[in-house]
This record gives sequence, C-alpha cells and structure tokens, in this order.
Amino acid sequence: MRKILSVIKREYIQIVRTKGFIIGTVLGPVFMLGLIVVPIIVSSASVEKQETIGVVDLTNEIYTELDNKLDHKDYRLKDGFRRYLLEKFEPSPGIKEVRNALREKVLKKEISAYIYIPEDVLEIGPAESAARDSEQEEEKVEYVSEHTTDFEELRALNRALNNVVVEKRLKREGLDPQKVAQYIKRVELQPIKITKKGEEEDTAGTFMISYFLALIIYMAILIYGQVIMRGVIEEKSSRVVEVVLSSLKPFQLMMGKILGIGAVGLTQFSIWTLFGIGASLYSASFIPSGADFAMPSIPAHVFIYFVIFFILGYFLFGTLYAAIGSMVNSEKEAQQLVMPVTMFLIVPIMLMIFIIRAPDSSLSVFLSMIPFFTPILMFLRITVLLPPFGQIGASVVILTLTIVLMVWLVAKIYRVGILMYGKRPKFAEVVRWIRYS
Amino acid sequence: MNALEIESISKRFGDFYAVKKLSFEIPPGTIYGLLGPNGAGKTTTIRMVMNIIIPDEGSIKVLDRRMDEEMKERVGYLPEDRGLYPKMKVGELLLFLAEIKGLKGSEARKEIDFWLERFDLSDWKSKKVEELSRGMQQKLQFIVTVIHQPELIILDEPFSGLDPVNTKLLKDIMLEMKEKGRTIVFSTHRMEQVEMICDNICLINKAESVLEGNLSQIKKEYGKNTVVLDYDGEANFIKNFPEIEKIDDYGKFMEIRLKEKSAPQDLLPKLVGKININKYEVREPTLNAIFIEKVGGKEIKDEEDTVSH
Repeated sequence: MRKILSVIKREYIQIVRTKGFIIGTVLGPVFMLGLIVVPIIVSSASVEKQETIGVVDLTNEIYTELDNKLDHKDYRLKDGFRRYLLEKFEPSPGIKEVRNALREKVLKKEISAYIYIPEDVLEIGPAESAARDSEQEEEKVEYVSEHTTDFEELRALNRALNNVVVEKRLKREGLDPQKVAQYIKRVELQPIKITKKGEEEDTAGTFMISYFLALIIYMAILIYGQVIMRGVIEEKSSRVVEVVLSSLKPFQLMMGKILGIGAVGLTQFSIWTLFGIGASLYSASFIPSGADFAMPSIPAHVFIYFVIFFILGYFLFGTLYAAIGSMVNSEKEAQQLVMPVTMFLIVPIMLMIFIIRAPDSSLSVFLSMIPFFTPILMFLRITVLLPPFGQIGASVVILTLTIVLMVWLVAKIYRVGILMYGKRPKFAEVVRWIRYS
Repeated sequence: MNALEIESISKRFGDFYAVKKLSFEIPPGTIYGLLGPNGAGKTTTIRMVMNIIIPDEGSIKVLDRRMDEEMKERVGYLPEDRGLYPKMKVGELLLFLAEIKGLKGSEARKEIDFWLERFDLSDWKSKKVEELSRGMQQKLQFIVTVIHQPELIILDEPFSGLDPVNTKLLKDIMLEMKEKGRTIVFSTHRMEQVEMICDNICLINKAESVLEGNLSQIKKEYGKNTVVLDYDGEANFIKNFPEIEKIDDYGKFMEIRLKEKSAPQDLLPKLVGKININKYEVREPTLNAIFIEKVGGKEIKDEEDTVSH
C-alpha cells in the first residue's frame, strides 16, 4: 500500500506541476465561460448598420404602412437611427425593367436589397382552394439581395411585412385588427416540476444543467483516460517500466497511476467548483433581485451523484485506457484501439436527448443499467427525474462489479503488455495473456 | 545458504526455447558472470530471477526464499533496456525509486546525496533527467540499482555503452560491493571484463548451459597449452603445422591453441627468423578462446543440422 501511495504521489505531482495542467485549469472555466458569453456578445454587438431597401409595391397600399412600421423603435438601431430605410420604386415602364434596374442597384451596392410585393398579396381567396392555389404558381413576395443568410434581418422584415399585410386583410373584411389580435392571443404551457419536496417552476435551467454536467463527465473521462494511456505508453517507450517493476507489482503500478491521475482530475474539479461558487456569488451581487435571469443552481444530491458517477466512470474507462496503453508502442498505434472505447462514451451522449425526453421509459432504465453507459445516462436520469433509489443502487452495484472484473482482466493484460515491445498483439494473443497469467 | 539458486528452469515462447534446463548456484559474496552470445537466453534468465517472466518449469531461490515483493527490496536490478523518467528531476526520481524499494524518506535522502557525490552528479540533482548526457544517465541508472543497499545485485549487460572511465568506475564499485559481502550477478558477452572480476561463470548458448563453474578452475582444465604471439610479418604458414589445434589471428596478434601432447616450447624455434616476434607467451587460454571454442564450434554444427533438415 505504501508503494501504491508513492506511485500516486509521483503521478500527481508530475502532472499537477506541468504547464498543461495549470493552463488547462485556469483556461478551462474561461473557455467554458467564453463558449456561453461570446456568442451572446457577438450577436448583440453584431455589425448592425443602416441599410437602404428598395420596395416595388404592386398593391400600392403596403409601402407607406411598412415604412411607418419600420420607423417604430423596435426596428431602430441602438443609437436611435432607423435601421431600414425604404425607397419606393414605381413599376414603370414595366415590372421586368424595374426589377432589372433594381438588380443592378443591388449588385452595385447602391441598395442592400429590394422587396418585391406582387399585386395579389392582399387577396384572400376561398379557403378550401388554398392548396390548389399554391400549385398554380402563386406569385411570392420576394426579398432579393446579395446575401440572404442574415436570418435576424429576414425575420424582422418578415414580421413587419406580415403585420402590415394581415392588418390590411382584416380591415378589408371590416374587422378590427386590435380586437383580432386579442382574440388570437396565444397561451403558453408553463412546465412545473413537482418533487416530493414541493413544486418549483421549471425553466430551461434544469435541462441545460443536466446536459452540461453529463457532458463534463464525458469530457473528463475522455481527457483523463487519455492521460492514463499516454502515461503508460511513456513508461513503456522510455523503458523505465522494468526498473519500476523490479520494486513493485504491475498491479500496484497500474492502480497507483489510475488513482494518482484521478486525484488530479478531482483537484481540477474542486478548483473549478470553487471558482464557480465564487463567480456566482460575485455575479449575484450584480444582478438585481427582480431580474428575470435566475442563476440555475445545482441541487446537493445532484452534485453528490455527479462526484460518484464521475469517479466510477473514470475507473471503468481508466482501466480500459491503461490496457490499451500497455498493448501498444506509440500513441499513433493506440488510436485504432481507442476507437471502440470512445464509442462507449459517445453512444450515451447521442442517447442523451432521448433520455431527457423519456427519463423513466423502460428503454431508458435499461440503457442506464448498461455499465459502460451508466456514468452518463444514470446521472442524466437523476438530474431530470430522480429514479427510484433501487434503480440507482442497482446501477451502481452493476457498475462497481464491472469495474472489479475489468481491473482483474486488465491487470493481466497490463502485466504482460507493458514488457512487450514490437508488434501490436492480436486479439487472440491478448486472450491468451489473460488465460495464462 | 546461496545468494541465488537456480534449478533446472526452462522457458518457452511458442516452440522456441529461450532457456532450457538451466541450473546454477551463486555463493554469497561473489561475483558471477553470465556469459553468452546475443540471444542465448541471458536476459530471459535474469527476468525470471526478477519474477518478471515466470518460468515454465524449475525453481528459483533468491537469498534462500522464493522471489516476491518483499524480496525485491533486497535485490537491485539493472535491466538490459535502461530507462528513467525523462521529465523528472534527478533528486525526485531517485527519491521515488528509493521509496518504492522500501526506503524511508530521510534514509533515502542521505543515500541519494552520498551516491550523487560519489558519481560526481551532485550539481545535477535538481536538473531534469533528460538534460543529462548519456554517460550521466548511465551513472544515474546504476545509482538507482544500488541505492537501497541490496544484498543481491543483478546487472544485465552493465558495461554496454560505457566509456573507459565509467567502465572502470563501475568495475571498482562492483569489487567494493563484493568486499562488503554483497553478491553480484551480471550478464555480458565481453570476455575481458569477466576475466578481470568474476569468481564463477556460466556460459549459456542457445538456451542451454555449456560451461559452468569456478573461473580459475575452468581455465586450469583447459591447460597451459595456449601461446599468445605478438608479431610482425606474414604468419599464415603457422596454420599448417601439425601440432596446431586452433588459431585466432588478429593480424599482429595471435592466440594459438596447441594439440594436447605438443609442448609450447617446440613451436618457438619454428617461428624464429620467419617473423618478427615481439612477445611469445605460454599461458592458460583466454576466456575469449574458450568462449569461441565452446560457442562458435557448436554454432557451426547447429547450422549444418538445420541445413540437413
């Protein structure tokens, strides 16, 4: 045991001291924060500028109102200037000629786009023939521009135009648009999550947090598993392994390595957790209490299960990565063998949406009991809808038994593998190692 | 009690025997040489002693007990493939490797300082291993082997790649250890080192022992019918003399083994005047000659066997 401790200590100190670890620990949260914050900043500070849009209005009724609508403050730039300046073009001498002329203007960048409104836009037509009409090549309202991928802009223009068109249609029928708007006001389904402790308003928060934490388990296993594998390969290729084995058993070396690197992982998480708590306390003091932005919080039991499933998952996959490291001579060679192991991690990630939608379906229960999926899927189920304790307990027991079995198997592979150089062993050979050692 | 007892061990890899029915004993406080050409089975034997490979049959007793984890603390091992953690600092590396040999921290630190001083590496204690030159790394590797004051020291090709200065340093330390009552086993294919320091030897070829025992006794058995000739000139004609058993001609130096009943002093007159003789020495055969006779001859025979298959 003392020898394993020495190995753990060595692994821990050697990794924690590297620049990679320090940078990763500091930049990890920054990176994650960046992943959330940067898109928000970018989209809100997007390159909004005044644009001139030509309008060919064959109805002759829409232009003025559309112009008024776009003058409303909803459509203005932050500094109060109009975002969209409209310019009307008469369809003379002919529609075709005007459209050609406008096309030229767009290409010369005199205007950024033009909108073509056909004559029959305000017609309603008999309801039952709607389907037939669409087959008859109904003329469409067109937005013609050099680039048509700014969905933000398209949505804004679309909304303004639709408001105008619908209002006009209603007025033609003698209906009061404001009244109609009240009649067709939508209702929203508000999800309320009830637990034994009471009820709480469910927001997208739970979903995000579940998804996020499960992803962290996935990433951590993947990253630290590779660290184990690389460590084993390094010991092999630097040939230090035989020196070490003249003092301790292969099993001690393997366990020491897995435990030491696991401790590094937990250290990193602790730092991040403290960072997170600090950051949320700090930012909470800035957010006014009445703000509709609620900091999503992680319930204590979720956090405990997170730690449990991370540790168990790390052990299960850590042994696999150690086995792979012992079987190969270089990281390049390892890549092929890593694939199937990575698949065991990717499959549950792909199943996540299904599990979140149906956390207590029998298929979900079954999937979360498969030991290689348990760390991610059972944890996910816990965050979404706390399963009966029997199920959690059963999955933990199955997972633990699998770990014991894997450690036993891998120790045999590892024992032979770390002293083997040259050709990568075939599957049959590995089976023989297990049988004979 | 013997420091090491090997009884009829065999190891097969597939159909290939790496070691076959090998037996020898090493009395404590002696230096034992394990000789043999490359691929003879020396390293496999040593690895079996270290419990890294498990023999298919036979038994090994280290310091009168079966090799286990506890015993590893009483044995020092220098593997054929040298290796250290390149990214670790010298002092930390030694501390770690001493700790897993069962040394306590304070004890280990004392030993580390002593050995670094002894090998003139004290200035490098806080440098990374990868910054050291090859020669320094070899010295470091040797410190790793002996830092826990093992009773039995097993060295696999300890002299390979060493420059003359370090070779001498290592040889001196081996003799010093012997004086302290430690037992040393080492493998090599370089005969002159064996002749200088070994008490007993085992010559292995093709997985089997071909010669085993006390070195001076072995030499005596081969008798004083070897002539070492240091000369200038064309000496090819000597081959045709009837009393010649075997000649190793190096151009200016020749080791001649005479047939059993011929006297060395009868050869000298036949040479006088035909070549320039700088030295004419009658002595026991060198181990090299014994080695080549034992191994070389057998090898040729074996090759003929394989051809006739």
